[in-house]
Amino acid sequence: MTLAGELESHLPAGTSLVFGQLYLTRSDDGTFEACHLDDMGKKDTLSPIDSVIDLRELAKFDAGGEYRPLKTAPSLKGGWITRSSESPEFLKRLDAIYPAVFATWVAYANEEHHPTSLRRTLDRQTGMYRFAGTISDQLANRMMRELCHPGCIRKIAWPIDDMHPVSRLKAQPRAIPVICTEACTFAINAARALAKEAFEKANPPAATGATE
Amino acid sequence: MLVAKPDCALLILGHGSTENPDSSQPSWDHADTIEKSGQFGSVHCAFWKEEPSFRQIWPMIEEREIYIVPNFISEGYFTRQVLPRELEIDGHTTVRDGRTIHYCDPVGIHSAMTGLLIKRAKEIIDDSVKLEDTTLIIVGHGTNLNKKSTEAITDQVEAIKASGEPFAQVLDAYMEEPPFIADWQTLTDSPNVVVVPFFIADALHSYQDIPVLLGIETEPTAAASQRDVFRQNPHRFGDRTLYYSSAIGTDPSLADVIVDQVSYFDEHYRS
Repeated sequence: MTLAGELESHLPAGTSLVFGQLYLTRSDDGTFEACHLDDMGKKDTLSPIDSVIDLRELAKFDAGGEYRPLKTAPSLKGGWITRSSESPEFLKRLDAIYPAVFATWVAYANEEHHPTSLRRTLDRQTGMYRFAGTISDQLANRMMRELCHPGCIRKIAWPIDDMHPVSRLKAQPRAIPVICTEACTFAINAARALAKEAFEKANPPAATGATE
Repeated sequence: MLVAKPDCALLILGHGSTENPDSSQPSWDHADTIEKSGQFGSVHCAFWKEEPSFRQIWPMIEEREIYIVPNFISEGYFTRQVLPRELEIDGHTTVRDGRTIHYCDPVGIHSAMTGLLIKRAKEIIDDSVKLEDTTLIIVGHGTNLNKKSTEAITDQVEAIKASGEPFAQVLDAYMEEPPFIADWQTLTDSPNVVVVPFFIADALHSYQDIPVLLGIETEPTAAASQRDVFRQNPHRFGDRTLYYSSAIGTDPSLADVIVDQVSYFDEHYRS
């Protein structure tokens, strides 16, 4: 089935779904509609946005005008609504807000896309990120606790290492899961910073033979 | 050049930025232009530092045959090491998971770039300014870590010199290795200097860092898209006049260059 077909079957006419911070509905005549979850009760007051380009621009900044490089940060702004009668076009609009997130869920649910462990992600890094691979399990858990959980709405589907697999994520009723199948650039960067901090703490300048 | 590949996807790769909102914009602009042209079944972008990332993109692409064009300036660390590793591809064509994936050359090494650099330089200087009184500087990032990084620039400088355009001088300069762009006043002796950044976007380096090195700004400004007015030319430094253009990668013609790299792949790398 195509991704647009998957979207139609996830959201039949006359139903609604939660997708991250989005509230998706499909009217009885088949028209798709998306708005911010906080705006679901005030659709008449919302400004229509009818293009992928405009939605991409909307998702680029939060309500305070700050840049949102992470599209699944919990800071999607509201006040808008988008409608389309065509599922391929509606899928493009969802991808403008949450790039690849629906496709990732479909591929994961169909077991065509498998999570990558944090160790495998970090171990293949080169250049300035190579050091990230030295992070301990304890610090990796701290990274998830301090960076991923407050800063991103994705549910982590990857294990720290391949020896300790995690349970497969399941969809809640009337929701499309927003999942993370591999640590992102922010996580890699944070892992590097934590690993460096731990190394420098364990190897102060005097211990490495450095002199003033 | 037009191609007709309705059964193929085009994937444009960019660097992106976690700090500057304008870094990925040219890639999206060119993707939108190419998508409207209807030459491919679908057109996608993926980024190193933004979403969708190189690792997230595959589930989005439904076509079985995919052309990848790196929207990068040079062949080097990223195009030869990072991108193939992250996309799990090897060589010109990779067949895996039922897909045939073609990896094209980056846009920056396309032969059309020389003409675009000349066009960009000519269009920002005043009509009354003679090329004979004007030095053209092509500025790049430069890094001591990879010699390939400067090769793209020096190749363009040689090609512009060979084109017969009557610039007083054509020079290369860099942010992080000599000849430094910060020394532009001593590197040149013509009354006019035009600087064209050989970068993909008007982002952190070309819009915020280099203007400080040139002396146009005293400190990095906000991102281009966050300012009401794009910087105005010319800039006066005593009896010298400096013109600074936007990054070459923002030229709308880059959409044609991206498609051309697909044609070039078919002509030269396809077995």
